[in-house]
Amino acid sequence: MSFEWPWQYNFPPFFTLQPNVDTRQKQLAAWCSLALSYCRHHKLYTLDVMEAQESPMFNNKKIERKLSMEAIQVVFEELRKKGNLEWLDKNKSRCLVMWRRPEEWGKLIYQWVSKNGMVNSVFTLYELSNGDDTEGEEFHGLEEWMLLRSLQALQTDGKAEVITMDDGKGVKFF
Amino acid sequence: MGNLFGKKKQTRVTEQDKAILQLKQQRDKLRQYQKKINQQLEKERLLAKQLLKDGKKEKALLLLKKKRYQEQLLDKTENQISNLERMVQDLEFAQIEKKVIDGLKAGNDCLKKMHEVMSIEEVERIMDETQDAIEYQRQIDDMLAGSLSQEDEDAVLAELEAITQGDVELPDVPSDKLPEVPEATEDKPERERPRKKSEREMLAA
Repeated sequence: MSFEWPWQYNFPPFFTLQPNVDTRQKQLAAWCSLALSYCRHHKLYTLDVMEAQESPMFNNKKIERKLSMEAIQVVFEELRKKGNLEWLDKNKSRCLVMWRRPEEWGKLIYQWVSKNGMVNSVFTLYELSNGDDTEGEEFHGLEEWMLLRSLQALQTDGKAEVITMDDGKGVKFF
Repeated sequence: MGNLFGKKKQTRVTEQDKAILQLKQQRDKLRQYQKKINQQLEKERLLAKQLLKDGKKEKALLLLKKKRYQEQLLDKTENQISNLERMVQDLEFAQIEKKVIDGLKAGNDCLKKMHEVMSIEEVERIMDETQDAIEYQRQIDDMLAGSLSQEDEDAVLAELEAITQGDVELPDVPSDKLPEVPEATEDKPERERPRKKSEREMLAA
């Protein structure tokens, strides 16, 4: 299953920030959804801005256009405002992408747990994201920070509790 | 961050949970170790092939020996993992058993309390009182029912007398005037109508 690019992706002006406010708004919205669905398709959770510029996400080799660094920053800033992105450093060179909110991830995980009758059980984070049992689940391969966030979201709902031990973390579902 | 939250509601995570977590963490480490060894095995297998092709039999043999040793290690870790998993399961099951016992205990306590409320003397007393009440009710019923039946009997007797006394007069009166005349007048037109209808139908046909 290959990634389906939106029609704008093959439209050269799409790769230049538009001066008109309305057009620019639409362009940004399209870029945001493109970036999110790209990350979702490739299961990307952390992005390096430099790498992202070279990746097909912002670089269409077919029409030889790529989004400029400033434009990428604008798009990422837009995503940050929407709550889908968080910067990892002050220089804004690395970021966390949340194409699914922690609460939604938490819901998915909890559904899996209750479906398998494992409420009231203890899990290691490794087990959840890399274990054999979760193979084929959407959250398989979830990066640890994202997993932890979603578990914390569950924790605020009282559905889980994160346990911190000397080496590594675990979680208990309720 | 999780720690802050955890401290607030520490009560829900028991010592057993922590023990299970520790076991599971150990198991995860073994799993990772297995993965590592598996990858190494694969690499070494390829390397051994390469060495054989190049004619370095000695080295290949050495490598295979190493590989064999690692395979044994893999078996050992597999055993350890199953040991750990069994331990986890035992722990989990013990927790379930504990809950079952707790449940039974709660039920038992509840029963005891209920029994305290309902002592045998109390039950006996209540049963006696109920018996008394039933008896009392029956007496009332009898009294009411008795008076009624007395009345009934009187009425029955009166009716009987009336019938036997008016045996000659009563049947005569209705049979002469009331029942026959209206019945006859009512019956006739009813019987005639359908006939007329059928005649009409015949005519129409």
